[in-house]
Amino acid sequence: MSTPSLQRVVITGMGAISALGIGAEALWQGLREGRSGIGPLRHPDADRLKLKIAAQVPADFDPAANIDERTLPLLDRTSEFALHAASEAIGQSGIDFGQSALGLRTAVVVGTGVGGETTQNEQSRRLYAENAQRTHPLTIVRLMTNASASQISIAHGLRGPTFAVASACASANHAIIQAAQMIRYGMVDAAVTGGTEACLTYGAMRAWEAMRVLADDTCRPFSANRRGLVLGEGAGIFVLESLEHARARGATILAELAGSGMSADATDIVMPSAEGSSAAMRQALADAGLAPQDVDYINAHGTGTQANDVTETKAIRLAFGAHADRLAVSSTKSMHGHALGASGALELVAVIGALRDGVVPPTANLDQVDPACDLDYVPNVAREMPVRAAISNSFAFGGLNAVLALKRAP
Amino acid sequence: MTATIQQQVFEIIAKQAKTDVANVKPESTLKDLGIASLEAIELIFDIEEQFNINFPDQQGANFGTDTAQSLVDAVQKAFDDKAAGSEGDA
Repeated sequence: MSTPSLQRVVITGMGAISALGIGAEALWQGLREGRSGIGPLRHPDADRLKLKIAAQVPADFDPAANIDERTLPLLDRTSEFALHAASEAIGQSGIDFGQSALGLRTAVVVGTGVGGETTQNEQSRRLYAENAQRTHPLTIVRLMTNASASQISIAHGLRGPTFAVASACASANHAIIQAAQMIRYGMVDAAVTGGTEACLTYGAMRAWEAMRVLADDTCRPFSANRRGLVLGEGAGIFVLESLEHARARGATILAELAGSGMSADATDIVMPSAEGSSAAMRQALADAGLAPQDVDYINAHGTGTQANDVTETKAIRLAFGAHADRLAVSSTKSMHGHALGASGALELVAVIGALRDGVVPPTANLDQVDPACDLDYVPNVAREMPVRAAISNSFAFGGLNAVLALKRAP
Repeated sequence: MTATIQQQVFEIIAKQAKTDVANVKPESTLKDLGIASLEAIELIFDIEEQFNINFPDQQGANFGTDTAQSLVDAVQKAFDDKAAGSEGDA
């Protein structure tokens, strides 16, 4: 195999669906205004659950609005989100996959923590609770983890490498990194990538309750009175291209995906390690050719659990040294909730917004200083400041870390 | 009644800690007994299942510093709350 010269990777389209609304701009506007998408849980089984709050996609989300009626029966909620966000991203980028057979040289990589949980729950309920004799015939095609990636490929005629990536709460970042690497090494010219999750099923919520990591008031990352994470849902999907390809077609570039870092803690299945996550941050900086002092903003993993927020603070100090005190660090999960396998993708919208508009979104609900969390978390109100480069952290149960490094559009 | 609860809770703790029940003292913390975070959550689950009760959420608390006696007290409290008509489900 010959070694091609490395391509620079840029983002030319973004789409999202989240608790802050339909569309990437709705998400970004909500974040910069410090608005919370967390509210009382809307669910038919809400009365039976201890979980009372969540960051849910607005009730008026209508999948039929831009998904054709023959495709709709094939979709779990995860794929509805992903298809919707993909259409938005592709539309924004202005890319034409039909031109010069570009579809053949376009990858689709979508991260999801679990995949079709809604389908799995509904069909299990039929079988075990209602003693039904059969499941719906489309159960498998709806619930398979790769369904979202495959549906995007089919809807847009994308014939390059297409697959799902699963690494729990780091799934979106791991997926985006796979897509970016394929462009970088010249395997493809473009990619549609991101993350999707629809995890607010009765079974999944019961499972999260049992882990005792859910907040009952709201999500308060880095605040001394934090009580845990708040589950969210949604999708973020992006169009990535080589810089060369984007320039050749005169595309508007949103940001450069300059590098990435991935690592595993190899310690505990749930307790995070500062060594593991700081290694991923350091790799991302080196890969992007950034020195610590070149970075102005970190979109933190910032779940609002006791364990994450202290460990992540230590990890940022380990990776950035003295520069850590000059960084703006915020957790937007305080507003869009923890959308698990989609969270890195929702957070990439925040990072693109920060680079593009020179506004760092805040950490909402941070009202009590925790001595163990001693960085500048941009509490409660967005900050106007130039952002030259930023990193976005995603850390997962299982001890898996994936970090993106971004620069302003070249 | 109380002795029975204590005996049962201590046995569940001993099983999770893979130790003899004689090593579980009222003042033993879960940490003393080598029960780490995820195991502690499993232990709480086992106790809830055994007594058919719900402990209130303790996000923010550190199960590692909980003593064996505090778990016995928590079970007793859950029974008392149940008797008082609440579900013991804060």
